[in-house]
Amino acid sequence: MVLVVLALVYGWGTYNSLINRNEDIDKQWAQVETQYQRRFDLIPNLVESVKGIMEQEQEVFGAVSEARTRYAGASSVDEKAAAAQQVETALGRLLAVVENYPQLRSADNVQTLMVQLEGTENRISVERMRFNEAVRELNLKIKRFPSNLVAGIFGFDERVYFESAEGAENAPEVEL
Amino acid sequence: MAVLAIAPMVVFGYANPGSPEGFVNDFAGLLNQEEKIAIETKLDSFEKESSNEIAIVTIASLEGDSIENFAVKLFEEWGIGKKDKDNGVLVLIAKEDRQMRIEVGYGLEGSLTDAQSYWIIKNVMTPAFVSDDFYSGIDGAVDSIIQAVKGEYVPSEDASDSGFDNVNWFFLIFVLPIWLTSILARSKSWWLGGVIGAIIGFVIGLIKGFLYIGFGAIGVFALLGLLFDFIVSKKYQKNRSQGGTPPWWMGGGGKGGGSHFGGFGGGISGGGGASGRW
Repeated sequence: MVLVVLALVYGWGTYNSLINRNEDIDKQWAQVETQYQRRFDLIPNLVESVKGIMEQEQEVFGAVSEARTRYAGASSVDEKAAAAQQVETALGRLLAVVENYPQLRSADNVQTLMVQLEGTENRISVERMRFNEAVRELNLKIKRFPSNLVAGIFGFDERVYFESAEGAENAPEVEL
Repeated sequence: MAVLAIAPMVVFGYANPGSPEGFVNDFAGLLNQEEKIAIETKLDSFEKESSNEIAIVTIASLEGDSIENFAVKLFEEWGIGKKDKDNGVLVLIAKEDRQMRIEVGYGLEGSLTDAQSYWIIKNVMTPAFVSDDFYSGIDGAVDSIIQAVKGEYVPSEDASDSGFDNVNWFFLIFVLPIWLTSILARSKSWWLGGVIGAIIGFVIGLIKGFLYIGFGAIGVFALLGLLFDFIVSKKYQKNRSQGGTPPWWMGGGGKGGGSHFGGFGGGISGGGGASGRW
């Protein structure tokens, strides 16, 4: 009889813990999206500062603008993640092109914007890392014994880690 | 010069350089004793008046890690800034890599922006470090950071609570039981322990919510309290009848500690700030 009670208490605690972990993941994903939004908002400033001097580079500006539009239009989590990836690529190209204009690179306002963008990229990285940590916590609980029994009963599924698209490792780097 | 990488960060291993011994942690030996004390004093009084925690950490080498990753991990592990406010700043200097980073906690991102961190690094720290003058670079950075941050946090009544975490927990966990023991032991009967146990359980119930934990806690602590008092009373009686000195827990108060660094408040950062190199 005591064993049954103990098992129930354990089950109850584990169930709640699984729920908590799931919520942590969602909350953490929201953090990631907040940083995506921050980057999204910073880009127009950068574009305005460099557009005057870089007027012949229309193709690059076009790509950035299109990527931003796609991000703004994305609604599901998967769409947003994919759109964010596109923004990253377009932004990378723009920054690489800025490299060709030394007078731009040393302009104070451009430097400030670059720093802000870099800060945002770093934040995105950190939030993604924490997202993956949260996913790991849940997945471990789902897979380990005996909590996997509880997870099975209530139908908790493994969550998917954030992995950036292939080719992202080849994005250009910019030296300030 | 900062490196802007759009690629996701590859995570190398991070190793904790040690435990914090103060606001200034000079693992790389860039400052002499006087300089350390001067900066420590400044940071200590800033923490007392504003509750913001600024940490200076110098390390010899990043060991292959990126300074951004190292800073974020160190910040999190040491918990710089108060837990509920996340008002911490970490200035990390890696000597052999010639890189530095100002990592800003979530709570201070509004007043110490990435751009400001960058300009502090570029205008104050880099020129000084290039001429090996680490003290004025670090000191200047501290002054600039304090200025930037000062607008944001006005000391409130909450500031006095920040002492709670370190001092009061110590008291509750170590001193209170000993004090309780000395009282409970003197009485021959052992119902008092049960009453105190029930009260503790009640308080925990108030804090954590009655339905699950509260009632359980009352029951458990009441039982523990009865048992505790029973054991302790017996021991005291036995001791007295033998005429010996009372057991160790009846001793006088312990010596108080001098004012010293109590550790950081458990805050966290989100990757804000800026890096640089010299």
